[in-house]
Amino acid sequence: MIVCVAVVGHQNNPLYLQSFTEADDALKLHHVVHCSLDVIDERVNNPKKSAPTLNETFLGLLYPTENYKVYGYLTNTKVKFLMVTTDLDVKDADARNFFRKFHAAYVDAVSNPFHVPGKKIASRSFGARVSTIVKSFGSGTVG
Amino acid sequence: MEDYPEELRTPPVSLVSIVGCPEMHATISAALSSQQPPMSTLALPDFAKANILSRTAKSRDPLAPPQAATGILKKDWLLKHRTRVPAAVAAMFRADQVTGDPAQWLQACSDLENLKSIIQGRHSKLVVILVQTQAGDELGEEVMVALRKRAEIDSKHLIVLVESDEAERNASLLKLRTIFAELCSTYYKEEGRRIKARIEKRNFSSVELSVRYCFKVAVYAEFRRDWPEALKFYEEGVRVLREMIGTSTRLPPTQRLVEIKAVADQFHFKISTLLLHAGKVVEAITWFRKHIRSFERVVGSPEVAFLHWEWFSRQFLVFGELIETTSTTVPDTISPRFGTADNALTEWEFQPAYYYQLAANYLREKRCALECPSSRANLTGDSEIPDSVMSSVYVGQYVRLFEEGDTISVLPLSDAEYTSYALSEAERFQDSYEIIALFRKAYESFLSLGATRMASSCSAGMAIEYYAAGEFGNAKKLFDGVAGLYRQEGWTTLLWENLGYLRECSRKLNSLVNFISYSLEMAALPLFSGSVQGNSENKSNGPAGWPTISRREEIQQEVVNILEGKHTSQVMDDEFNLQLTEESTQLVIDQISPLRIVLVASVAFHDQSVKPGSPLLVSVSLLSHLPSPVAIDQLEVRFNQSDCNFVMVSAQEDSSTLNSDVHGQVVHSTSLTLFSNKWMRLTHEVKSGQSGKLECLSVKAIINKHLVVCCQAESPASMEDFPLWKFEDQVETLPTKDAALAFSGQKLIQVEEPDTQVDLVLDSTGPALVGELFVVPVTILSKGHAVHSGELKINLVDAKGGGLLMSPGEADESESHHVELLGVSTATGDEVSKEEVDNIKKIQYSFGVVSVPTLVAGDSWSCKLEIKWHGAKSLMLYVSLGYSLDSSGDASLHRLNVHRSLQVEGKIPMIVGHQFLRPFRREPLLLSRIRSSSGDDKKDSLAMNESNMLIVSARNCTEVPLRLHSIAIESDGDGKQLCSVEQISGLSDEYAVVAPSAEYKAIFSVNPRASNPDFYLGELCLNWSRDLVLGENQDSRVTMKQRLPEVHIEEPPLVMSIECPPYAILGTPFTFYVKIHNSTSLLQEIKYSLVDSQNFVFSGAHNHAAFILPKTEHTLSHKLVPLGSGSQQLPRITVASVRYSAALTPPTSATSVFVYPSEPKFNLEKSHPMSDECVS
Repeated sequence: MIVCVAVVGHQNNPLYLQSFTEADDALKLHHVVHCSLDVIDERVNNPKKSAPTLNETFLGLLYPTENYKVYGYLTNTKVKFLMVTTDLDVKDADARNFFRKFHAAYVDAVSNPFHVPGKKIASRSFGARVSTIVKSFGSGTVG
Repeated sequence: MEDYPEELRTPPVSLVSIVGCPEMHATISAALSSQQPPMSTLALPDFAKANILSRTAKSRDPLAPPQAATGILKKDWLLKHRTRVPAAVAAMFRADQVTGDPAQWLQACSDLENLKSIIQGRHSKLVVILVQTQAGDELGEEVMVALRKRAEIDSKHLIVLVESDEAERNASLLKLRTIFAELCSTYYKEEGRRIKARIEKRNFSSVELSVRYCFKVAVYAEFRRDWPEALKFYEEGVRVLREMIGTSTRLPPTQRLVEIKAVADQFHFKISTLLLHAGKVVEAITWFRKHIRSFERVVGSPEVAFLHWEWFSRQFLVFGELIETTSTTVPDTISPRFGTADNALTEWEFQPAYYYQLAANYLREKRCALECPSSRANLTGDSEIPDSVMSSVYVGQYVRLFEEGDTISVLPLSDAEYTSYALSEAERFQDSYEIIALFRKAYESFLSLGATRMASSCSAGMAIEYYAAGEFGNAKKLFDGVAGLYRQEGWTTLLWENLGYLRECSRKLNSLVNFISYSLEMAALPLFSGSVQGNSENKSNGPAGWPTISRREEIQQEVVNILEGKHTSQVMDDEFNLQLTEESTQLVIDQISPLRIVLVASVAFHDQSVKPGSPLLVSVSLLSHLPSPVAIDQLEVRFNQSDCNFVMVSAQEDSSTLNSDVHGQVVHSTSLTLFSNKWMRLTHEVKSGQSGKLECLSVKAIINKHLVVCCQAESPASMEDFPLWKFEDQVETLPTKDAALAFSGQKLIQVEEPDTQVDLVLDSTGPALVGELFVVPVTILSKGHAVHSGELKINLVDAKGGGLLMSPGEADESESHHVELLGVSTATGDEVSKEEVDNIKKIQYSFGVVSVPTLVAGDSWSCKLEIKWHGAKSLMLYVSLGYSLDSSGDASLHRLNVHRSLQVEGKIPMIVGHQFLRPFRREPLLLSRIRSSSGDDKKDSLAMNESNMLIVSARNCTEVPLRLHSIAIESDGDGKQLCSVEQISGLSDEYAVVAPSAEYKAIFSVNPRASNPDFYLGELCLNWSRDLVLGENQDSRVTMKQRLPEVHIEEPPLVMSIECPPYAILGTPFTFYVKIHNSTSLLQEIKYSLVDSQNFVFSGAHNHAAFILPKTEHTLSHKLVPLGSGSQQLPRITVASVRYSAALTPPTSATSVFVYPSEPKFNLEKSHPMSDECVS
């Protein structure tokens, strides 16, 4: 189950963060997402390691912490997508698929002429679309 | 890691025992432990002590049914095998003990028997060592055989050790070692196989035994360094343990879980150590993940959840320490694509810091579980803490000692008893400090890895622990550091939590200013829109709760209440005693302060510059992001010129409360209320003060009478975005209504200088002439301002740019300056006193400073600048006058300046030329001219002892008439003797006036008396002055010198002179003589030719040759009859010297004659000798 998704701007500022959990760990998820930016920095800035993944947007599992696993995705414009899940086994294909849909939703949201790039995403329809994507995660409908 | 017993932390070492002959023990044990792999030795001095090797007698009835195991692992089992159960035992006898005395032999035999029976139950191997003093000592073969038979050992297990000979001894020690190693290996293999058989046959009564057997097999495998087998059985053990959790019923559930986890802990430790020491990092981490996953949720009952978290935290800590001590690096073999299907691991999992951080997190979980009231509720009253609880012989089990008289019995504990015991034990520990230590370790490690956010997270963890432990000072310091990162990256929710803690820390530390500033910052924080959370009572969000608008408003209200002195009980706890101790609290907000979101002041002048004293408009705009409106009592705007300060007072406010120290104006404004996110724009007119910069420094707002917020004024043009709010999706507003002002407005304005009322006049009389002392009169004319402490600065600059008025590289010499400022003289001339001359502060080649006397209004003062040009150069002359209006010292800051400039051309006054002429109709043969005719040597050649002519011409190339006072040739001493120069024509009068572009000529005769190839004739000296109408000034005469070029003086071998009458008359014959003088002492042959001329007929040879005797003259004469009148060219004669092969041709000017048509009638008297015209 996905417990949190986030969009982080290229100055590492949060643009969108939504948790999908009943438990009172929303703040903890903020911490988890924030800390995982270090891993993204490490992967992106380490030229030796990033060489084979030059054109790869999916960053994979960033790190496991406590009950969570954090997955990352980096767009060409250096916007980061993060997904926090409590699932023990996440298939790479599922995660990739999720991020692809999430990215498409993001692109639609920022293409809104009233959206100022670099500002928080306040669009409700984006939120609704993200919720749908999150709910469909791992339900087997790959593609 | 230090919690584990030594035997668990180090790899097991085989144990052997030696009995008897204590004097040899040190040598043997040293030999055994120094080799690889080492062996430890259990040395027993005599056979009586051998009993400790025996099995502890078990009073178990062999017929009784097998008892269920009471525990999984005995604590001392491993220790026992490492220290007390040898794999092999060596019985040592001295050689003399077994030979000779039969009593001794019998004793030895019985000792051996005894030892054999002791070790039989252990399956330990036996070795017999015979110690010989010397190698040569005879040992009977039959003794050896008898001994071997007694001991029932192979022949190779009987070793003879020679004591004295070192080489022999070492050889036998080596042999002993090999035998021991072999026996140990056999022993541990057999023991392992025995127990493994039980596992394979599933020949055990309970699952506990299965685990125990696995452990034993693995340990035996470790003894013989069979790591893969050890690993296999440890893993098997853990698997069985994990299965046991649900099935075992032997102990009450809580204690059962504790025991299982304690055993699993040991197994896991062994596995991790084995994997990491073998360099299998990836396997170790994968194993650790599996281990954590399988035990993560085995929390047990909520009352003892803390035990689980403590255990869980220790797993991370120990694994982290193991990774750190084995200094693990990421192996090259694994794919660098962390976190993907290629490589499931992530970077941090190779770092100990990751494990320390999680260990700290779980330890915190333990603290929370311990503090949780639910764990406490069931215990109080239920059972009191039992006395004398101690850990049992089994790993992870606890029992109660029960004393009844002398007998001490061991009783099992109930779960309730155990829980209260564990709780009381746990309460004795200060978890906070351990958590802080773990976080600090992780923090430092993450920081060195460059993971600042992870480090910050650890730092925040430390701070929360300090906060929980009541050390608010430390907590605040750490929180402050973390808040910086969150502010920078705009993580408002995290910042909110942080500030909530900081606010509480300040409250606890009784720091009102900090409390107010943190509260205001919190109140002004933007909300992260995507995270609206319902319940704000959630404890995990820190003391501030979850950020909501209402919470922000509450916090703002709290500050207002404190300022107003109202204490609402809602936010108060008993310790809270923040009081307004001082009259007011001051907050300073500068451009980098995080409080900019609370209040920012933008100040813009409407103009860019202004005349002094005139009114100017200034806009002051304030913006606050506080959620509730803020009523400002008083607004004070401060400038760097305090006269301009002004104060705005809200109309509701009584103006009597104004501070008395406010100097500026007081303005009453209807309302000074700031609404959230709306600019409050105020425009005010101030009167500009003194000239210079007028800058708005700060805007001070007094809120609720006691809070003074001092904002540094910011220019709208250079105002930065609001931190945090810049990411908010909202309409941007401008600080001023005028958009242009919002983008370009500045908080400072230039107040211009007042207009000067002093005139500075520079006069110039046209272009300057090189060499003369050019005078530029400067007049200072006061037209209303008195001039005090005036200073005149003069600057000469090359008009073509470059600034330098000297040739580069020769800056030191004054000659190198093309233009030079020589001095400044005042107009009154003679009246300049000595002191005033000293006042001329500094005159340099191109720069001068002159002080100007005090002038009252209407006065004037003038001086003359004396400038000399050394070369033709165009010059810019800058003169600036700086003065102050009054003589007081402090006024020197406000000086007025007048600047004037003038371009002056420097011109060369005269161009001087010269020309040498030979005597008329005399043509000396100058050999050097013939030779150098093709060469580039343009040197003039003069004939010796002939009077040569020198014509000097001086052309005035200025636009003014010049007076030429004299032209002379100054030659040095030598020149005078060797050459006589006399002026033939020149200045007859005192001076000659040379009009512009007119030319003046002077003629000199030069008669050299010695031949010289490089003769220096001297310098042409021209003395000139401007032709001024007014009286001539002697000083203004300028001498201009020009060096004449060197000439070649030589003696001509032949001189040809032509004689002919001054004029001829048509048809009248006359004689034309050509005289050739030979000045050499040689006979000269000449040839001459005469060319026909159509205007003359002549008699005589056309071509002829002649010989001229030395020092004589040869005359050629031709009679000519002119045929045409006018100026006519005589027949051209060419004389060639055969010796020098040079020809002499007189120039055409010398060979022309005027032919009158008839005898002219001159009005002049006959007495005037016309024949004088014939110049010889």
